[in-house]
Amino acid sequence: MKTYDSIQHVRGESKFVDDLFNPEGLLYGYVYYSSIAHGKIVSINLKKALKYAGVRGVFTAEDIPGENQIGGIVPDEVLLAGSKVDFIGQPIALVVADTKLAAKSASKLIDCKIEEYPAVFDPRIACEKGELIIPPRIFSLGDVNNAWSQCEYIVEGKTETGGQEHLYIETQGAVAIPVEGGGIKIYSSTQNPTAVQKVSARILNVPMHKIEVDVPRLGGGFGGKEDQATAWAALAALAASKLQRPVKIILPRQEDMRLTGKRNPYSSDFKIGLNKEGMILAYEVTFYQNAGAAADLSPAILDRTLFHCTNSYYIPNVKATAYSCRTNLLPNTAFRGFGGPQGMFVIESAINRAAEVMGISAHEIQRKNLLKEGDEFPYGQRTEHCRAIRCFEEAEQRYDFKMRKNYVEQFNQENKLVKKGITVMPVCFGISFTTTFMNQASALVHVYTDGSVRISTAAVEMGQGVNAKISVIASKVFSIDISRIKIDSTNTTRIANTSPTAASKGADLNGYAAMKACELILERLKKTACNELKFDDPKKVEIREEHIFYDGNRTPLTWNKLIQAAYLRRVSLSAHAHHATTDIYFDKEKAKGKPFAYHVYGTAIIEATVDCLRGTYKIDSVKVVHDFGSSLHSVVDRGQAEGAIVQGIGWMTIEEVMFDGKGKLMTDALSTYKVPDIQSAPKDMEVHFLEDAANPFGPFNSKAIGEPPLMYGIGAFFAIRNAMKAFRPERQFDFVAPITNERVLLTLYPAERFSGMKPDLAIDDVKTPAALVY
Amino acid sequence: MSEETKSNKFSRRKFVKGIGSSIAGGYILSPAIAKAAKKISKEAKDFSEGKVPLSLKVNESVINVMIEPRTTLAELLRDELKLTGTKVVCNHGECGGCTVLLNNKAVYSCHLLALDAAGKDVTTIEGLSSNGKLHKIQQAFVDEDGLQCGFCTPGQVMAAAALLYKYSKPDKQQIMKEMSGNLCRCAAYPNIIKSVLSAVEKSNG
Repeated sequence: MKTYDSIQHVRGESKFVDDLFNPEGLLYGYVYYSSIAHGKIVSINLKKALKYAGVRGVFTAEDIPGENQIGGIVPDEVLLAGSKVDFIGQPIALVVADTKLAAKSASKLIDCKIEEYPAVFDPRIACEKGELIIPPRIFSLGDVNNAWSQCEYIVEGKTETGGQEHLYIETQGAVAIPVEGGGIKIYSSTQNPTAVQKVSARILNVPMHKIEVDVPRLGGGFGGKEDQATAWAALAALAASKLQRPVKIILPRQEDMRLTGKRNPYSSDFKIGLNKEGMILAYEVTFYQNAGAAADLSPAILDRTLFHCTNSYYIPNVKATAYSCRTNLLPNTAFRGFGGPQGMFVIESAINRAAEVMGISAHEIQRKNLLKEGDEFPYGQRTEHCRAIRCFEEAEQRYDFKMRKNYVEQFNQENKLVKKGITVMPVCFGISFTTTFMNQASALVHVYTDGSVRISTAAVEMGQGVNAKISVIASKVFSIDISRIKIDSTNTTRIANTSPTAASKGADLNGYAAMKACELILERLKKTACNELKFDDPKKVEIREEHIFYDGNRTPLTWNKLIQAAYLRRVSLSAHAHHATTDIYFDKEKAKGKPFAYHVYGTAIIEATVDCLRGTYKIDSVKVVHDFGSSLHSVVDRGQAEGAIVQGIGWMTIEEVMFDGKGKLMTDALSTYKVPDIQSAPKDMEVHFLEDAANPFGPFNSKAIGEPPLMYGIGAFFAIRNAMKAFRPERQFDFVAPITNERVLLTLYPAERFSGMKPDLAIDDVKTPAALVY
Repeated sequence: MSEETKSNKFSRRKFVKGIGSSIAGGYILSPAIAKAAKKISKEAKDFSEGKVPLSLKVNESVINVMIEPRTTLAELLRDELKLTGTKVVCNHGECGGCTVLLNNKAVYSCHLLALDAAGKDVTTIEGLSSNGKLHKIQQAFVDEDGLQCGFCTPGQVMAAAALLYKYSKPDKQQIMKEMSGNLCRCAAYPNIIKSVLSAVEKSNG
């Protein structure tokens, strides 16, 4: 089973936005942005830039004919800063010129004077100052205050998780082409075509029907193009409308990193209470989300942090409070997991800390508190078809956790400087947009007279294999060869009012919509078959591998003949269908409801080796039992799982987003921001598909896959930490991710150890462990 | 003054001289020297903006173009020759997205001046298959699903093709080393390794 478009990908023929045919008269845009984190714009002088050879126009907030507003959830973000700036990297002007170079060179001649104000970068400080994007959100279950007295152990602590750069290999970009009647056609690399359409229409003050958005495909999105692709498309549309010339904006990598938000960093406090047996009785947690300077998607991300604050565990008494804090950094945004990973990291930290205090292994606490059928989440939903324990136990058995744990312990006894750590990481992730209305999609299916099929949906292909899955669904419904099916680009004129391709829901929602549209055509075809064959019951007609059967008997009709017959009988061979997830709801005020169609479960066992002299480490293995439902496409699903795991490990280990004291991004290139390469990806990765795991709530019993496996990566942090604990059993380590090599070293050898310390390691102990030679 | 008379022709000496003078210009006090330096500096500027001829082979076709000396090979391929299979990802020589073959060796085309490819053979992803038939490494990437979003794929495939030129029987260690200059954010690494291994097996099978 192949992934979609793979042949054209390996031939270099696939067209991404920057590869599309350049229209006649194409101009290039370059974004001029703020170099001050917070301040008042005193003056903007464009004279010199406008005079630069090849420049066709420079546009600022004053040139926007409509509303200068791109905020999605909260209207708090301008397209171009006019009076004040709130972060470094905020667009102030767009320079448009004949060449990319002229646009960039001219931008350096813009003279913008900004009066600097004090800036805030720390979410806790922002919270103290009352700088919140939305009022605090609280989820609660039971009564924590009453529960503490029943707890044998109460443990408190603090955690930090860093940001994460999306580093989609294709940077942000768009091409806007003026069309007749004051319209604009936009080719955009976005996960959210309707947002691009809506915002561009708002900026240009035209109705949405004047804006057509087409998305050929994305060279990766990971959430970074859910909301943050919009600005560049809207800017291109603005310039194209003003100049009546096609305008292309492709962010160079460094600008992409400097101008776009990342995964929200979180600072959190936890308090966990357990009884003697290790049952968790109460959990209180406070999240300080660093939203950056604008809401973007942070409020929804904050909600998902709360939804997943207890991960895969049942805790009877929970109080979770979350603050979305406004700081003077880039507006942070969606990133695979969407706040879920940030929430899960805290409960895992709490369990690990509790285990240290109780003198037992975290694994024991994890195991005892796993979700069972019918257990209630803090948001009121109860588990259905719960597979938390199944996945956990199967992972333990399949990968012989006991034996591996003993091996690790033995290894640690035998080795002084090199230590191993092993950890178990269960994951439970809810599937649906937590904003209920977004759980809708539609599809348009055409069957042509030669029997080939072309499908449009709201889904954007970005490597997650949604097109492959939709073609599997259509080929199953029609029972025709998959080569007959072509999935079209995502286009707002074919599919209107799209929800973003996000929340792992692309294949579920659009797959169902495509299924329904195919079924509409199939019903008509069955009637046609009856008419052709002079039978009377369409229910007895069946297509099996392109042959038409009636009442179980093969007829002379084939798919091709049937399509021809339908066409000649003037039967419609096109259908549009809409799908909305039923039976989900969520009361935001009460923070209770049934927000998820279902949950995805799984467990990973992760081993790491740490060179405790150098601080270097490697992830030896990641072994997973994952609940895929009945997989629609095992190649796509396995690839998604493996890729997400590596990305999750990256977030926890080597990927560190850093800003200087003025709020300037320091990690704005691949030389300073490291993502996993072929060498640092775990050598031994095994993903087992949980058997007999049909999911009644997914198309053909499948389950969503995009995000959940990312959170297995959290286990890498604890595996490394366990190895470090084996080296320094007497020390109490903090919970700060990413746990970079530098951080490992600084944690193992904190500064005070060096002031007049006696080396406690003889030089003879220094050996290069063979395991760490790459 | 032969250099001035053939002012359109590229000469490293004149280029370096011009740049050097323009850098030194700010520190020269004598008005006469300053004036001369300014003139040279202006010449250097004109020169850098002027175009020079370049001849090279791309996918077995001889290409003759006039380009600005600062044009990178990636820019030449994408912007001038419209070979958009080669992707510019970081433009800093850090990710391998723009990998092409230069005389059958993998190079980062974003980090190589097009002029440095003068007289050489460049193979891009578009030139890898012959007569419409996929190259064995392309076929292996398809068979083993060594890709997800497809954006880094041309670079991965070219790096792998260079690896097959370099080693007849590369082991896994060599594969990892040779492919380590190409990032895949989808992290399709397990299948990328499988793809290369499968192509190696097929070449030797």
